[in-house]
Amino acid sequence: MSDLATALVFWPSAAIMLVTGLYVFRTSSMARAGLLLLASLGIEGLIFLSLASEFLGVLQLLMMSGEMVIMVFFMVMFMADPGGLMGMDMTHDKRRSAAVAAGVAAALGAVAVATDWPGAVVTGAAPDIEQIGFEVMGRSMLSFLFAGMTILFAMVGGILLAKHGGRLGIPAPAGEPRDEEGAGAIGSALAGGEAGVEPGVEGEPEHPSHGSHAP
Amino acid sequence: MSNWTPLAILGLALGGAWAVVCIEQAVAGARVAPALLIRRAAEQLGQPLAVPAGRDAWLYHLAPPLLLVAAVVALATVPWAPGFRGVDLSTGAILFSAALAYVTPAVFMAGWGAGGPLAVLGGFRFIALMLGFAMPLAMVVTAVAAPAESLRPAAIVEVQHAVPMVVVQPLAAALFVPAAMAVALLAPFDLATAPTELGGGAFSQYTGLHAGLIALARKILVLAVAGMTAALFLAGWQGPFLPPAIWMALKTGAVVGGMLWAGRRLPRFELERLLTLAWVVAIPAALGVIVLAGLITLLFYR
Amino acid sequence: MISLPVVLTAAALLFAIGVYGALSQTNAIMVIMGIELMLGAAMLNAVGFMRYAWPDAASGAFFVLVVMTLMAVEATVGFALVIAAFRNRRTAELDDLTELKG
Repeated sequence: MSDLATALVFWPSAAIMLVTGLYVFRTSSMARAGLLLLASLGIEGLIFLSLASEFLGVLQLLMMSGEMVIMVFFMVMFMADPGGLMGMDMTHDKRRSAAVAAGVAAALGAVAVATDWPGAVVTGAAPDIEQIGFEVMGRSMLSFLFAGMTILFAMVGGILLAKHGGRLGIPAPAGEPRDEEGAGAIGSALAGGEAGVEPGVEGEPEHPSHGSHAP
Repeated sequence: MSNWTPLAILGLALGGAWAVVCIEQAVAGARVAPALLIRRAAEQLGQPLAVPAGRDAWLYHLAPPLLLVAAVVALATVPWAPGFRGVDLSTGAILFSAALAYVTPAVFMAGWGAGGPLAVLGGFRFIALMLGFAMPLAMVVTAVAAPAESLRPAAIVEVQHAVPMVVVQPLAAALFVPAAMAVALLAPFDLATAPTELGGGAFSQYTGLHAGLIALARKILVLAVAGMTAALFLAGWQGPFLPPAIWMALKTGAVVGGMLWAGRRLPRFELERLLTLAWVVAIPAALGVIVLAGLITLLFYR
Repeated sequence: MISLPVVLTAAALLFAIGVYGALSQTNAIMVIMGIELMLGAAMLNAVGFMRYAWPDAASGAFFVLVVMTLMAVEATVGFALVIAAFRNRRTAELDDLTELKG
């Protein structure tokens, strides 16, 4: 992209990214917060497109959509007031947090502006997919393998942690309201989906035991 | 990409949506009446807009344009003929997946913004469905790109000059088509907008211009996924005797017809069963497809 | 026109917004969102450096890929923790989860 096109995309995108990012924490509705975060990080993908890499920009757009939709889903499941209709205050230490954030912004901004950055030889040609592929499968292969292993461990650990009874497999205390109470049709639909992921581990035996232990 | 590209894409979107409606009427066994559509559209645009009472009304207003943008971007990535394609990026196949990924927030926004119980339920159903189906979709696109050694859709079409990809990777095609139909809100998978079950679901409360935009976006979406299916699996514009654009149009039309026909013939899936299928069958199978694609590429395409 | 300090300043502001969110929100999932914003700022930094300081190296792009992985990992573990906490305590509010507080 030419310098002018980059600037034309960058400035509005950066402004929208920052404003939507800020409003994530100003709104009381959880669906709105999640979608604003999606807007913020998705528009960051546009900035990537304008700055350097077509591949990274498109990938960012794809990844953030998937991730933020999951985020919205979880927020609506676990927030006390997902619609923001009760006017609950979901914040604490607001003033001190703002002070810390302002300090961080000032410090990082000072570093960004005051440092004499090297080079700035702009060739305009960002690495294309092929180069990135050779980087991933060549020089950085070990790091990439490590990232892959990390995400595998995170998946296994996440499922163990989240499954009913925790990692020790302790059955639920009697009388604890379970999926029946949750979110009605949606909750049971999700339970069906989750049980499908781990058919052997999270299984049927727990359901009867839950029923029989109930007083 | 020339200065005329946006105009060409727009024309393609409108004309294609109209063609999809005609195919829909033909599949339904009704008399194909192209003029009727225009009259009905004019009637619809005359209706007043429904405005929900909730505090998230702006999501409700934002959803139809977002859906339309996602559909048009997805359509623009499809390679239609050797010289004619909208956005010819070297990452076009990922851009296609990325554009389709924004259908999910759009449907959720529509359902959540409208605020009615059935609409919200429809939005959530679509998220649940897409969590399972978006991943096989993207993974299958990667697998199909492997033999071409490029993520440029045109290159993927060109690599099929001898054998269409559906012959080389039938499992990939079998995974791609249902996932694409689910994204395009087509009939056996239209749990989010089921007209009989949820009374229209996520889109039930839209009227007037909104409803028109959504209908248009849905037709464009069908066209985009059908065109991509034709390009990725049926060798796109390649074929004997006829000019490339005609081949592509015929194949796309056949895929649209097949998808709509399947929607009329098959009963709607249960959400639980569909999710189990997605997580237990489709995602592991898609991983297998990627491994197979690597093997096929190394053995036959080098 | 855009230069490296401009990009870095935008990233710094995004990071600060993330810090504010992670510190000020009471709900675990909102905290995760703050952390996502901070990681997004890190990615923006990496892309800025890649574009303006070392345009020929693919390492910057690789770094962005790793950060994306990290975002996914962080969200996975965070959501698992939230599910576990919610199962045991019926809440995802951090102010109520103070058992280990000194």
